[in-house]
Amino acid sequence: MEYQNPKLPENNVSKEHPIKEFSTLLIGTLVLVVVVSITLSLAGSWLAGLIPYSAEKKVASLYNVATHSDNERYPKIAAYLQELADKISIAQELPPEMKITVHYMDSPTLNAFATLGGNVFMFRGLLEELPNENTLVTLLGHEIAHVKYRHPIKSFGGGIAVAIAMTTIGSSADTTLLGDAGLLSTLQFSRKMESQSDLEAMHNLQSIYGHLNGGAELFRIFREARGPENESESNKLNQFFSTHPQDEKRINSFNETALNKGWSEAGELTPLPDFFTF
Amino acid sequence: MEQLIFVAVFVTLGYFFGRRAEKKHFKSLIEREEQMNKLPAMASRMPPQDGEYDQFLVSGNVVIANDYFKTFVAGLRNFFGGKISTYESLLDRARREALLRMKEEADKLGAELVFNVKYETSNISGQGSKKPPIIEAHAYGTALKKL
Repeated sequence: MEYQNPKLPENNVSKEHPIKEFSTLLIGTLVLVVVVSITLSLAGSWLAGLIPYSAEKKVASLYNVATHSDNERYPKIAAYLQELADKISIAQELPPEMKITVHYMDSPTLNAFATLGGNVFMFRGLLEELPNENTLVTLLGHEIAHVKYRHPIKSFGGGIAVAIAMTTIGSSADTTLLGDAGLLSTLQFSRKMESQSDLEAMHNLQSIYGHLNGGAELFRIFREARGPENESESNKLNQFFSTHPQDEKRINSFNETALNKGWSEAGELTPLPDFFTF
Repeated sequence: MEQLIFVAVFVTLGYFFGRRAEKKHFKSLIEREEQMNKLPAMASRMPPQDGEYDQFLVSGNVVIANDYFKTFVAGLRNFFGGKISTYESLLDRARREALLRMKEEADKLGAELVFNVKYETSNISGQGSKKPPIIEAHAYGTALKKL
């Protein structure tokens, strides 16, 4: 008998170029991840919006939020901010169980945010930039509107849905989202949420002062802080991905709203109280 | 972001080094297979009946590590299903190299045929999906040397 091992055709390996397979798979995966994340985030945020406020309040009370604020060291400022917040709450017709608690933070950060359980944080860094009470009411009104429209819990719901999916498929998710740090860190609200809150803030200005003067000033402060390079044409992409509508647009939205509703943009500005210095 | 850059660098390096090594290996495999054609290896369990032979167990063994590029593509493929072509070449190379080493061993012993050849493949990278696979291929058979 003859035994031989003839030369065999090279057909055990696919002829497809590996780069082609790589790019097809990579693009497919990215599209899938984006579509799934958006869907989950929307679904999660919708579901979270159905959670009653009393339940949200219970969850928020698990974290001792007050220990993070400097209200005790600055009782006058805290009381003043709280008084304004209560006034705005009435103007916004918040339901009685939606009690806003303002926390003053003695920190140079140029920020303010609203989180679960009606907790609103105001940072010294931003407050010392505010020229008058009208601008302060715009800021507080904006943050309180986030609470009114349940933006913190919706944003949490969306984030948690995505995080759970990520953990399930095995990639590491930001688990701090569910921890103590998550509650106190700035939540990312969508651009739609921000615009909705801006509009609510304008309503507050109109109902408390009878005009919108001083409101747009808030976004001029942000624009200045961001620096001129952000307003340049080359940064279009950055603006597209940023969740806050561009500062210029927000300033203009005050003009537009004033025009549409027939509200005045001029009017006397209310000064801040004397003790409101830092 | 930093992590993304690391992955991109590893994937690129893996692609170029892995591809270079693979091309070189395939070239060498084809050359050596041609040389070793003089010593056929058969899967048949029935030894030739035409004479008397000395018998030895011969074996060839090879371990091949996967590169980062292949692992990455395979990871993506796991998501969608389908053939993982980047692993096909890896296993093809491992089996052929193992068979060649077995034949070379038989050749040194002066054998003229290896029969009842079998293959074993195992993953020796250990447990854990995060680790890049390291493949061991083992070919063994009975070498026959004419008395």
